[in-house]
Amino acid sequence: MPLESPIHPGRVVWTGENPGILLKEDPDGPLSAVALFFRIAWSPAGRGTVLMLYEDPGSAASLPDAANVLLSDNRELAEFLRLNFIAKLAAFADAPAFSALTHVAITEAWPEGDSNSCYREQVRADGLEITLTWDDLGAPVALELPAELTGGKEHEAYNVLVECRRPEIRLNGRILPGKPGPRVQAGIETTSAFLYFSESWIDPATA
Amino acid sequence: MTDRIPVNPGTVEWCGDNPGIYLKQDPEGDWSSLAVYFRVTLSPHGRGHIMLLLEQPDSAAGFPDANNLCITDNDALTDYLLDDFIRYFPTFRGRAGIDGMSRLPMKSRRCEGDMKSVYRELMSADGVECCLEWRRLGEPFAVEVTPKDCATGAHDMYSVFFEAGDASISVNGVSFDGRVTDRLFFGQTMSTAFLAVSETWVRPRS
Repeated sequence: MPLESPIHPGRVVWTGENPGILLKEDPDGPLSAVALFFRIAWSPAGRGTVLMLYEDPGSAASLPDAANVLLSDNRELAEFLRLNFIAKLAAFADAPAFSALTHVAITEAWPEGDSNSCYREQVRADGLEITLTWDDLGAPVALELPAELTGGKEHEAYNVLVECRRPEIRLNGRILPGKPGPRVQAGIETTSAFLYFSESWIDPATA
Repeated sequence: MTDRIPVNPGTVEWCGDNPGIYLKQDPEGDWSSLAVYFRVTLSPHGRGHIMLLLEQPDSAAGFPDANNLCITDNDALTDYLLDDFIRYFPTFRGRAGIDGMSRLPMKSRRCEGDMKSVYRELMSADGVECCLEWRRLGEPFAVEVTPKDCATGAHDMYSVFFEAGDASISVNGVSFDGRVTDRLFFGQTMSTAFLAVSETWVRPRS
């Protein structure tokens, strides 16, 4: 705080919610499972719900061998996020699973719980029941990130970060392996499981 | 930009979406009808949805005598927003309709549209179907205000706004009187119908 004017001079790229869970079995090893959820209120590709799920991040396979999938109720939005956001974040794009991502249509998605204690996102598709749980939550913090502190380093971002210390990715009743690891964001020591609410990405290039 | 810091040291009060429609019959006169909607994702009282409509803002009458009503799925959240936020908003401050409005438990809700041209929030309670519709939507823009420019006068606030060139408030298919007009907002002339999404209210560290 503050801008020189209350109105940000940049262009809104997308806005919505973007909670995630990144798990590892070995703190020094590769990712063992990843879920990145989007509830987008506005984007150039419209509104919608998208879930990027890596059941096996180290495998360049998708269904039926591994649920490395991009679930959505708006395929154009899913593609927009894959190309313009996920592909620019090394943690996701460098995983072999990224090249194997296949589109799957969401049949139902809804949030549950309380973002103060235990929060869930439920996602259903043909043959897939996914429950993402963020438990043992911290206090919310409002972030206003300059481009150099965002993934991809192209856009500024606003969001509310809620740290999670006990996450879970459940796929068809099976808990995917791994634990969250430490992560530093804007100088805050946090974890690799997080709720991001009220998130907006801004292109400052047009400012 | 000045004094930019990446971590706001204040306390997050709530975040979510908070669109509104304020209508006038006479552009020079007082508000003829008001509506505000909340989809809250995080607050001290959890998540929830609230639609507040005042067809007679200065009458202490409630539904069905007047379409002054508040539909909600979270009463504690509603009290919190009313007492700590809505009553401080300049448009709602001192309105008798706030005190007289009926509170009804939500039966259903849904949204329609795409925020590019037309967008609707619909909510129902027993015997009541309410619809807020925003038309001729503009491009989104991000705002970041300090207590000096904030509606409560006490918070930092972040949001993404869309101006609507036209809008309507209806209950059981009947639209409220009044038209969208202009007001000074964020130092600019802006429409009195707006979408506000990804909104975050922060109480500054004292």
